[in-house]
Amino acid sequence: MMKKLLSSFLVLSMIFVLAACSGGDKSVSGLKKDDKPDKGMKVIGDHVKFDPNKLVNDGKPISIELWTWFGKEVFQKQADEYQKIYPNVKIKVVNQPWEDYWKKLPLQLKGKDGPAMFNVHNSYHSNIINFMAPYDIPVDALNQDYIGVQPHVIDNKVYYFDYGINTGMFYYNKDMWKEAGLTDADIPTTWDQFRQVAKKLTKRDADGKLVQAGFNLNGDGYKAMIAGLGYQKGELLFKEDGKTVNFDNPTTVENTQMLLDLYNKDKVGSPDFGDDSTKSFGNGQTAMVYKWGWMQGELKNNYPKIQWGVFRTPTPTNDVPFAYDRYNGESTPGINKNAAKEQQAVAQDFLKFMLAGNDFVKDFSFATGTFPAKKSLANDPDVLANPTNKIIAPNIERYIWPGAFPSAIETVSDKVFQDIFYNKVNIKDAIKSGQEQMEKDMSNSDFTSVESKYKFFSER
Amino acid sequence: METIKGRNNIGVKADVKHKNRNIFTLKNIVITLLLVYFAVFLIYPIGMAFVGSFYNWNPLNGTFDFNGIKNYIDVLGDKLFWTSMSNTMIFSIIVIVCRILVGLLLALALFSKLARFKTAFRTIYYMPTITPLVAVSFVWVWLYNPQFGLINDLLGVDINWLKNKDTALGSVMFMTTWKDFGYATIIYLASLMSLPDDCFEAADIDGASGWNKFWYITWPLLKPTTILVAVTSLITYLQSYIQILVMTQGGPGTSTYTISYLIFDEAFVNYKFGTASAMSVILFIFISLLTLISFKLTKERS
Repeated sequence: MMKKLLSSFLVLSMIFVLAACSGGDKSVSGLKKDDKPDKGMKVIGDHVKFDPNKLVNDGKPISIELWTWFGKEVFQKQADEYQKIYPNVKIKVVNQPWEDYWKKLPLQLKGKDGPAMFNVHNSYHSNIINFMAPYDIPVDALNQDYIGVQPHVIDNKVYYFDYGINTGMFYYNKDMWKEAGLTDADIPTTWDQFRQVAKKLTKRDADGKLVQAGFNLNGDGYKAMIAGLGYQKGELLFKEDGKTVNFDNPTTVENTQMLLDLYNKDKVGSPDFGDDSTKSFGNGQTAMVYKWGWMQGELKNNYPKIQWGVFRTPTPTNDVPFAYDRYNGESTPGINKNAAKEQQAVAQDFLKFMLAGNDFVKDFSFATGTFPAKKSLANDPDVLANPTNKIIAPNIERYIWPGAFPSAIETVSDKVFQDIFYNKVNIKDAIKSGQEQMEKDMSNSDFTSVESKYKFFSER
Repeated sequence: METIKGRNNIGVKADVKHKNRNIFTLKNIVITLLLVYFAVFLIYPIGMAFVGSFYNWNPLNGTFDFNGIKNYIDVLGDKLFWTSMSNTMIFSIIVIVCRILVGLLLALALFSKLARFKTAFRTIYYMPTITPLVAVSFVWVWLYNPQFGLINDLLGVDINWLKNKDTALGSVMFMTTWKDFGYATIIYLASLMSLPDDCFEAADIDGASGWNKFWYITWPLLKPTTILVAVTSLITYLQSYIQILVMTQGGPGTSTYTISYLIFDEAFVNYKFGTASAMSVILFIFISLLTLISFKLTKERS
C-alpha cells in the first residue's frame, strides 16, 4: 500500500514538474468578449496613428506578455490604459533582472512560448534581431514623428528604434557644493576648471585620510567615460573600416592619464574610497560623479535625500568640440516573430498605441533620464524642465552615436581601468592589451560603426 | 476446446495485467526518473558541449558553424586561459591543504577527552558548510570592505583586500577555507571515532608520546580519509566560480580569473559558446586525469 502511494506521488510529482516547465501565463480567465467596435474615441497621433475604434482579435479574449528589465510601472500604465479600451485583452508586464534578461530572452524567443513583446537594448542587437518581426507602421510615418529612425532601417523595415537619447553628464551634490563655498558660477566647463572644483570639494581628516571624494569614477565610471572622451578631441571610437575598435591611440592614453592624475596628483579621490561610485554618491561620500541619464531614476528611487544637480561634461577648452560626448538610444520594444499571429497582431496594435501618443515616450524619458526623440515633445515644458534634459537640449546635435556597439568594449575597458588604477599597470601597456582583447572578443561581431553619419563628421 | 481456449485467454490476460502492473513499481519509477535526469541534465549537455567545441556556436542567435579544432587552438594560445588555469591550481591546492589542516586539527580537538560541549562545537563548525555560498560570499565582501569592513578594523590596517592583486585571490581562498573546513572536520571526526582502540592501547603500554601516537598510528590510519577529502575537494575547487563571480568578478584586471569563471565569461558575456565548450572539454579531461591518478594512488596504498 505504502509503495503504491509513493509510486503515485512520484508520478504526480513528475506531471507537476513537467507542467511547471511549460510556457508562460497565457490565461484569459476574467476577460470579457468585446463586441463594440465603435469606442467613440478620437484617433491619436500625427503620422504614426492609433485608431481605437475597432475590435482587437475580433473581440475574443487574448493575453500577451511584455518582458522588460526596467520601467515596469511605465509599461504597466500603458497596458492598463489599453486594456480599458479593449476589455478582451490582457497585457502581462513581466520584469526580469538585467543579468538574467539577456540569457533568458533569446532562448525564449527561439521557441513558441516567448513573450509577444519585449524591451530592447541595442547592444544586444545581434542576439535578438533574427527573432524580431518588423513594425506594422510605415517607415515614413516613423521618420516624420521621430528623429534618428533612419539608422535603424533594415531593408526598408524598422524592427526597433530609439525613442530617447541618453548620454553622460556630471552629477554633483548641491549641499557639498554650497559647503565648499561654490556657486552656480563655478560650474566647470573645462577640465582644468573641473580639477580646481574637485579639489575644493575634497575633504580629509586630521590624519590625512580621505573622508569626502571630490570626484569618484570607481565601478563603472571609467568604462562609461573613456568611450566618449576621445570625441572631444576628434578621435573616433572605430577605425576607418568601421569595424575595428580604435582604443589604443594617443588620445585614449592622454585621457586616461588625465583621469589617473585626478586621483594620484590632485588627490581628489582614490580607487580604494567608495568602490562603487553610484553608492558612494548616493550615500553622501562623494561630491561629483559621471553617470548617464539612468542616475536620475536611481537617485530618485534609492537616495531621495540627496540634493543633486547636473552639468555638461567639461571639455579641453571652451571652444566647441567635435562632439561633447557619445550618446546611445533607449530602444522601443520588439515584437516576437515566433509568437502566435493573433498575439503578434495585438502587440503591433499596442505598439501603435504607445508610439502614437506622447504619454509613453514622456514617462519613459523621465524614468530613464533620456531626451525624447519624438518631435512633438521637443519643446514640451515638462521635458525641458527636467534637469538632465536641460543639459542635453542646448547642444543635442553635438553628441555622436557610434552605433549599437557590442558590450565587449565596455567590459574590456573596465578590465583596463582595474589594471591601471589597482594593478598599477603602465597606461600604454594596459590600453594596448585592451585593444587586443576587444578585437578578440568582437571577432564574431557583425557590427559596423555609423560614426560617419554624424552631422559634423567632416570637421575632423 | 473453446472452454479451455477461453480459460487460457483469461489466464494470459491476467498475466499481462499482472506484468503491466509490475512495470509501475517504485523501483522502476525511481530508476526511470534517475535515468531521465542523468540523460537530460548530464549526458546530453556533456555530449552537446563536446560537439559544440568544434563549432562557432552562439545558441542565442542560432549560429552553429563547423570550424574544426580552431577553438582548441585559440584556447591553448590564449594567455588568459593559462592565467586562469594557474590561478585555479593555486586556489585548489592551497584551499585543499588549508581545509585538511584546519579540519584535522579541529577534529582532533573535538575527539580529545578534554574537549567539552562537543555537539555545540560540531554544529558551529558545520554551519558555514550548509550556508549557501552566494550568501556567504556577499557577507565576506562586506567584511573585506576597505572603508567599513570588520577585517580592517580588527587588524588595524587599511587594505582594499578584494581590489589588490596581491591579496584578492588570497582573500577568496581564506573565505572558501572558512566556509568548507566543517566538512573535513566532520569526516575526520567520524574516522577518528572508528579507529581501532587496540593500536592505541598497545602504544600506551609501549609508552609512546602523544605526538608519536599521532604520527605513527592516527595519521597513517587516516590516510584513506585524507585522500577522500582531497579528491572531493579537488573536483569541487577546480570548478570554483560562484565566489569569484560575487567577490571579485575575476578582478582586479584578470588577476583572480579561474577556469570556470573564464568559461562563464566566454559563454554568457562574449556569447562564444564554442570556445567555452572547448575550455570545458579541456577542464573535463584535466579533472578526469587527476581523479584517475588519485584513485590509482589510493588503490596502490590500500
